[in-house]
Amino acid sequence: MKSIFTFWLSLIASIGFAQTELKGRVVDEKNKPIPGANVYIEGSYDGTSTDDDGDFSFVTSETGTQTLVISFLSYETSKIEIAIESYQPKTLKLRESVNVLDAVVVNAGTLEAGDRARVSVLKPLDIVTTAGSAGNIIAALQTLPGTQTVGEDGRLFVRGGEADETQTFVDGMRVPQPYGATTNNVPTRGRFSPFLFSGISFSTGGYSAEYGEALSSVLLLSTQDDPDQNKTDISLMTVGLGLGHTKKWEKSSLSLNAAYMDLAPYQWAIPQNVNWNRAFQQMSGEAVYRKHFENGLLKIYAAFDASRFDLEQQSINSPADTRVDLKNDNLYFNASYKGDLGNTWQLTAGLGYGLAKNNIGINQDDVRNTENAAHVKLKLAKRISDRIKFSFGGDYFITDFDESYQVFEGDKLKAGYTSGLSAAFAEADVFFSKRLAMKVGARTAYNDLLHESVLSPRASIAYKFGKKAGQVSFAYGDFQQAPRQEYVKFSDFHRFDNEKASHYIFNYQYTRDRQMLRAEVYYKQYRDLVKFESSTPSFDSDYTNTGFGYAKGIDLFWRDGRTFRNFEYWISYSYIDSERNYRNFPIEATPNFVANQSLSVVTKYWIEDWKSQVSLTHSMATGRPFTNPNRPGFLQEKTKAYNSLSLSWAYLLTQQKILYFSISNVLGTQNVFNYEYANNPNASGVFERREIIPTADRFLFVGFFWTISGDKKSNQLQNL
Amino acid sequence: MVKTLTAIAMLICTTAFAQTKYEQGMSKALELWGQGKNSEASAMFERIASAEPNQWLPNYYVAMVNTVASFSTKDRAQVSAMLDKAQKALETEILKNPNNAELLVMQAMIFTGWVVFDPMNNGMKYSGQINDLYLQAQKLDPTNPRAVFGKAEYEIGGAAYFGSDTTPMCKEIARSIPMFDAFKLESPFHPKWGKDRAEEALKQCGKK
Repeated sequence: MKSIFTFWLSLIASIGFAQTELKGRVVDEKNKPIPGANVYIEGSYDGTSTDDDGDFSFVTSETGTQTLVISFLSYETSKIEIAIESYQPKTLKLRESVNVLDAVVVNAGTLEAGDRARVSVLKPLDIVTTAGSAGNIIAALQTLPGTQTVGEDGRLFVRGGEADETQTFVDGMRVPQPYGATTNNVPTRGRFSPFLFSGISFSTGGYSAEYGEALSSVLLLSTQDDPDQNKTDISLMTVGLGLGHTKKWEKSSLSLNAAYMDLAPYQWAIPQNVNWNRAFQQMSGEAVYRKHFENGLLKIYAAFDASRFDLEQQSINSPADTRVDLKNDNLYFNASYKGDLGNTWQLTAGLGYGLAKNNIGINQDDVRNTENAAHVKLKLAKRISDRIKFSFGGDYFITDFDESYQVFEGDKLKAGYTSGLSAAFAEADVFFSKRLAMKVGARTAYNDLLHESVLSPRASIAYKFGKKAGQVSFAYGDFQQAPRQEYVKFSDFHRFDNEKASHYIFNYQYTRDRQMLRAEVYYKQYRDLVKFESSTPSFDSDYTNTGFGYAKGIDLFWRDGRTFRNFEYWISYSYIDSERNYRNFPIEATPNFVANQSLSVVTKYWIEDWKSQVSLTHSMATGRPFTNPNRPGFLQEKTKAYNSLSLSWAYLLTQQKILYFSISNVLGTQNVFNYEYANNPNASGVFERREIIPTADRFLFVGFFWTISGDKKSNQLQNL
Repeated sequence: MVKTLTAIAMLICTTAFAQTKYEQGMSKALELWGQGKNSEASAMFERIASAEPNQWLPNYYVAMVNTVASFSTKDRAQVSAMLDKAQKALETEILKNPNNAELLVMQAMIFTGWVVFDPMNNGMKYSGQINDLYLQAQKLDPTNPRAVFGKAEYEIGGAAYFGSDTTPMCKEIARSIPMFDAFKLESPFHPKWGKDRAEEALKQCGKK
């Protein structure tokens, strides 16, 4: 009996005292010692921190095979199996984590805005506090390099590309009609209110294989995953009223927004360059519903708007004005689900649907068109390690467009098409180290209207020189897009091919706290652009896909919020050289929407004593080409330079009440976008012309924004 | 008889041993933290957390040490790495105890760290969530002084700036002080911080 007792005691003792000393050293990838690293045996108390030479030594009472954990801030945690009894001193290597603020970013061509981006050129607030943007996402993006200000159009023109070469995506799903409907020379705006989006990624070229059907650029908007809190927003503006409400539950939330805009009182008070019969009027509503599941998030977004206006358009070719009466109804619906499937597999599924109905009266003619467009997408992503990610998926787009043109007391002309486009894509993201990373992918698509399938490779690579130094990146990609609606609606009469482009982009970027410098040179080559012989495209035009062109240039961006207290500014400069021979161009020429040089200077000054933010935006661009028929040549002359200075002032009455004032083109510069020449010369043999100018020289806006919420802190600075 | 004795002895022996180890470890780590050795303290708490998966306090302190240290760190890459580390440690525990008021208060502190990191952008993003977290913590444990004081302290900065009335927040701070004394500690290692800061804040209230 006694012996058993002693046996037990000695056993306890031996367990207690069977200790092994573990020694070693922790170093980084360059064999430099890491002091302060945590080294321990998983699931035990046994461990220590490394000393100044990266050395460690500790005793353990564990036995057998154990896991040794080595962790240190901003390094990847390393786990190795060791056999305690046979352990020999080791040198253990830690790799720097690639998920840190100062790691390399593969971003040639891409401008990020928003809170998820590690390197943001714009912050969410900027969309709204940039003078001249008036809450229009597109207008704020036009202060970035690579874009062209085309004042009479309002859409995004990127690096020598037409506006429809840019596609807009919300939560990964294409938006078929991203802009409000409008007519010639009356600028449109983006359809989406900025406040529902938490991130914007604007690519001016070389983007991911996940996105297709865009020759020049993609604009990716992501809705918020979670609204911050319950709140009600009220807006009273000189141009209308708005009401928003967000309600949060434990696992879900709903945001509703409604707005009514009517420019009639405003246009009555402020002189206009256009004769409006009925000023722009719009009813709109948006709803976002988010629901969290155990392993995923479902987001549903719906937007509806109905707008109309009626105006008299002047033309040099007719003594009487042309009356344009436009009614547009638009519905956009988007549902997306993102979920973890376990084992680092992630699934994204989405459905987008857009319906646009236009009813346009042109004098007594009547044009009606309807577009139904849907997009479904399924994507799977697998994170193989912190350093390697792989994704692949498929897309299907279906578009149905019908148009009827009822000539007054005459024929009814019909046009339309239905196209289906199926695509598949695959892409890999690889970090070789904290400094070197790469993204390679490819996309293949088949369009059943064009009977054409295409394969487009995409690749980009980035290298960072050092912890506090800049980085360079290079991107290459092939891009295809079906010809624009203006042509493909005549697919019954002609079979079109895809238009094609290749991008080569070289980027240098340097960032430090609140400062950023970006320089990008690019070359873009266009092939297979649509050409036709007639003066305007029509069903019986003689179409070919023989057009071509190029764009090359340099984009510079500098942002600084560091040098001066409470003062932030950015400067964008773009130089572009672009020519193309497309449409009915007789020769290769620089199209009218391209200005060779553009400059934007945006400043924001927070005046503490006045609780005000004052913002000034100055946009300049050299003249744009136009054809003067009085002289030989094509697109041979240039308009005078464009110049506009805008000012805005946000005054915080209290934390939740804001008074906002903004005025565009303060100096009243008389900008001329283009000229319209008479089709025939006058009696003395001269072609007369008419200037195409803004619909108003200045735009003035006053608004009052009130937020009611629990924390008494949030406000609508974001929505202005 | 002897068998039972041995069994009891062994039981006492092992449990006493384990308890001591946890207590020793926690005391030692808190001591390191007290000496300003943040990275060593964090490493030690991390080791205890690995050995004691049923205790929420070690990871709570990993979050705490890193968040507090981030406030006084200048290197922005370092600050964001610290807040990420704090978040990761805290999430492990919130998953296990979603209704622990102290963990929610800690989450509010990490978000406050992000607000300090970039007030212009994160202020708007996190203010509502911080507010919600404190409210939820107060609901879960009405006796928790840190939930009451934390909320008032976060709000008072903004109110003072806009010249709004700070009386309601000052009242809340005053209310939190006796709560600190009354708060029952389940162990010597449970969070007990905040009283001195609350008293200091209350003094500032009195000055106006």
